[in-house]
Amino acid sequence: MKLTKTINQTVTCLIFCHLTACANIQPWERGILAKEQMALDPYPLQTQYREHNYGSREGSNGGGSAKGGGCGCY
Amino acid sequence: MAAINQRKKKLIAHAIASLKTKTSNHQNTHSAIKASFQPVQLKALTAAALTLPGLLQSPAMAADEEVSFSYGHYQEGERKLFGAQSAFSPIEVESVQGSGKWKLTDRIKFAFNYQQDTWGGATPIATAPLGSGGNSGFNGTPGSQNTIGGATPRTNPDGTAYFDNQSNIYRGVTNTQSGVTTFSRDKFVHTLSEASPEVRKQGDFKLSYEWDDAAVDVGGGISLEDDYESRFGSLNTRWDFNQKQTTLNVGLSYTNSDTNATIDHDFTGYYSADEDYDPIQRGVGSTGKNILTGKKQDWSASLGLTQVLNKSAMIEAGLSFTRSTGYMENPYKAVSIAFIDPLAQDSCAGTIQGLQCGTIGALFEQRPDERNQWAGNLRFIQHIAPLDAALHASYRIFSDDWGITSHTFDADWVQPLGQGWSVTPRIRYYSQDQADFYTPLLTTNQGSTNNVIDPVRGPVFVDLNNPNSPNYYDDINFQFVPDGDLIGIGPFGNALLDEKGRPLSQAEIDNLSGLGNKTTPFDRNKLPKNFSSDHRLSGYGALSGGVTVTKQFAKGIALDLGFEYYTHQGSLKIGGGGEGSFADFDYWTANAALRVDLAALSYNGSSIEHAHHNHHSHGAHAPAGVMFDHMLPKAGDMMAGYRYMYSGQSGTMLNGDRAVNDATLIANGCGGNPCYLTSSSMAMHMHMLDLMYAPTDWLTLMLMPQFMDMDMEMRDLEGGSQRITNDQGNITGGNSNLGQHVTHHLQNGHETGGIGDLGMYALFKLFDDGIHHVHITTGFSAPTANVDIKLRRNHKIDGGFIHYGMQLGSGTWDFKPSVTYTGHLNDWSWGAQANGTVRMESQNESGYRLGDMFQATAWGNYAMTNWLTASVRGVYTVQGGIAGQFTGSNSDSDNPFINSDGSFTNTLKFGPMDYADSYGGKYWDVGFGLSATVPSGSLAGNRISVEYLHPVSDDVNGYQLERDGSLSATWSKAF
Repeated sequence: MKLTKTINQTVTCLIFCHLTACANIQPWERGILAKEQMALDPYPLQTQYREHNYGSREGSNGGGSAKGGGCGCY
Repeated sequence: MAAINQRKKKLIAHAIASLKTKTSNHQNTHSAIKASFQPVQLKALTAAALTLPGLLQSPAMAADEEVSFSYGHYQEGERKLFGAQSAFSPIEVESVQGSGKWKLTDRIKFAFNYQQDTWGGATPIATAPLGSGGNSGFNGTPGSQNTIGGATPRTNPDGTAYFDNQSNIYRGVTNTQSGVTTFSRDKFVHTLSEASPEVRKQGDFKLSYEWDDAAVDVGGGISLEDDYESRFGSLNTRWDFNQKQTTLNVGLSYTNSDTNATIDHDFTGYYSADEDYDPIQRGVGSTGKNILTGKKQDWSASLGLTQVLNKSAMIEAGLSFTRSTGYMENPYKAVSIAFIDPLAQDSCAGTIQGLQCGTIGALFEQRPDERNQWAGNLRFIQHIAPLDAALHASYRIFSDDWGITSHTFDADWVQPLGQGWSVTPRIRYYSQDQADFYTPLLTTNQGSTNNVIDPVRGPVFVDLNNPNSPNYYDDINFQFVPDGDLIGIGPFGNALLDEKGRPLSQAEIDNLSGLGNKTTPFDRNKLPKNFSSDHRLSGYGALSGGVTVTKQFAKGIALDLGFEYYTHQGSLKIGGGGEGSFADFDYWTANAALRVDLAALSYNGSSIEHAHHNHHSHGAHAPAGVMFDHMLPKAGDMMAGYRYMYSGQSGTMLNGDRAVNDATLIANGCGGNPCYLTSSSMAMHMHMLDLMYAPTDWLTLMLMPQFMDMDMEMRDLEGGSQRITNDQGNITGGNSNLGQHVTHHLQNGHETGGIGDLGMYALFKLFDDGIHHVHITTGFSAPTANVDIKLRRNHKIDGGFIHYGMQLGSGTWDFKPSVTYTGHLNDWSWGAQANGTVRMESQNESGYRLGDMFQATAWGNYAMTNWLTASVRGVYTVQGGIAGQFTGSNSDSDNPFINSDGSFTNTLKFGPMDYADSYGGKYWDVGFGLSATVPSGSLAGNRISVEYLHPVSDDVNGYQLERDGSLSATWSKAF
């Protein structure tokens, strides 16, 4: 319960700290942000492939949502 | 300033146009236009516009509707073996992926993804002192001690390692002339083992619903391997705040996995498996497998926040927690253990230098059953105006209760170059601490077995041949004088006493055929609870770098090419203290992806016309199983398609068109040799891309890359096996390494997969009057597939080439001509085709040539509705036999098998499928198919067909497994 409260406070703070810190960017000012190279992940297929390789070769894979990936027993 | 105003005008006009078409309650659009430069109205308009889904996605989004195909190759470098000869090739992985996403309605999206990895090669299974010879070469031919054929895994090499009082390892080398042993510091080396090819398949989906300022998606999927299966599901939600400048993502996911790993029947002799610690089941199934089984669950929760910082920068922050419980061991990894027996140090050669002797054994690794993992990440994206590039920089921290903390730094520079080109160099650095229980070698101060000593009566003896033997004791107090009759002479020249202290007579002692020290296995309680030598749990750093090149073509097609090099080194760890260089390795990957933006295709006005055109004048599409069935109607047209084919064999063995029993097979199925086993089932899956382009009205060019995978199961032949096993699955058939090889074939199904042969074709229009159409196809199949796939070596003998039918292509350049006739009238259409395959080389690199092929087929279609067509088809196929045979598959003196009767067999052929004359035949099939074309809407022109082919008659060359049905499915879209 206490943890939930802390998380709530953290999230709220994260959101509102940003809101106050960042300039308000109007939709028509977002031309640059809408460019392909500015996507959070411009090449998801490439990312997925690389992450799969890292995941089967490193000790700290995982986190985030379930993606499968198999045993990686080799 | 003027430019900005221009931009504003444009955006506003766009917003208004959208409002007009998508919302009905804005009656004041006219006034909005008139007063469009008034800030107040502008704000209101903007607010209205923001409520429209998809109009303003602040982060750039990939295409809404897209089909993509990708291929990747992973190639590991050689592992460091410090001079040991190894015939193993490093790990290679071939991956193929197909995915698609579609908008079902304005707010509902569906995405599907399929991927498949095939991997094979050598991998570390344990770590051992170099001096104990874990990767030592072996002598290939009995009787000649000079052939070094390669490395073989020896996890229990009977070697001795020497230790000083700081637990440093030493090796001892004895000079053969002087007999003096000198000691020097030793180092660790991985013990490698090779795997035959194995395949993993994964399918997953995601269904999402979008509101104006929120979205929810549910996803799930399954990943299948022979030895590992996992199922997963996820729920993610997205909330947009603050005019979509802030996005919050919350997700939950669950994975459930099962391990079912077959441990080689001969491996348990090297490993000390213990049912109390290792979840091993022995003697499972008809082939008596030993399997390690376990279940694992992962729950994961994640929280992410994306924030627009300014006009040209964004930030993303995330936090996730994953809790894993259950069996997390890698079932194929062992840990070497040195038993330093305090009671055996008197005979240790190293004592003169203050060293202790340890004997090396191996245990299955032991990991905790619980793992709690935290990860946090931060990503910053900045537009670099002078170059119109974007810098993506990210940092991730990970920490778990296994003691692993890792840091990842990642930076990409996405640089558009104009004309659809873009290049993205990338660098990544990763560093992790070792897990608390990681160790390259366990040491314990006890023997691998210890003599049981009674505190009062001294060493305990038992009859080792009698599991219920009572205890006996040496008469250490000399109570009796042995006389060789009533008081017999025990192993130490004294009398031998029973539990009651009575001396045994000589006759009683002579009856104890296996008298020896009573021993106990080593005490597991003196070992740590958990241990692993998996180098993924060691401390190390990894540096990788690569580049992605993308070209966006016209009509919504994009091609991505990626390359990456990765190096794992103990010395790269942050703060030093990483694992030694023996664990270093590197790999490179290359991949290519083709993306087709379906939305872009359907926005293209001309494509609708094409779809229309296709439907009417080329309704004469053939059933799904027919290739080269249609041309593109006019110059400039393109088509992208995907074709899947499955074919299977199972059931009875045939000779010609008759079923044969096992006795006949053993006697005649394998030439002059006996058959030891036969295939019980085989399945082949082919994935093909169908890329077509028409440079002129009368010519269509076609490129067809293929990816395939196959698997085969084998069975014992009744009354003919060389394999003699007990109910534990262990070989008891004497010195029969042939029998042991046969066991491997029976216990481990065979799998292969990878790139197939590449087809390149040209279709020429000969005749077309609107009803009847004739074209010919000529083309070649290039030998891009592997035809030299081998089984791993077992029992110090190479496995040899895997069966002809499991190689991935022909290995030769092939000529593939065909002629096709199609016709249509009203709701009916029909067609016929004759096609052939002619091998243009006398043999491939592996020493054989597949037979030529001829096929004739004819079909009829009936259009049941304007979008659905049903078809019936007949097919006749003549497939020639194989000429030549695998190089070295006969009389190869380096690869002899010893039969159970002591005779030799110089062949690597086990069953009919290993004989070239058991390939080819004459076949009749009948096919039933359905084909659907989306008539309208955003997916108009997408065409999906399926066809099932049922075998009517088989007339096979030699001895072959009966065919099951085959299935074809195609998707295509012309534009």
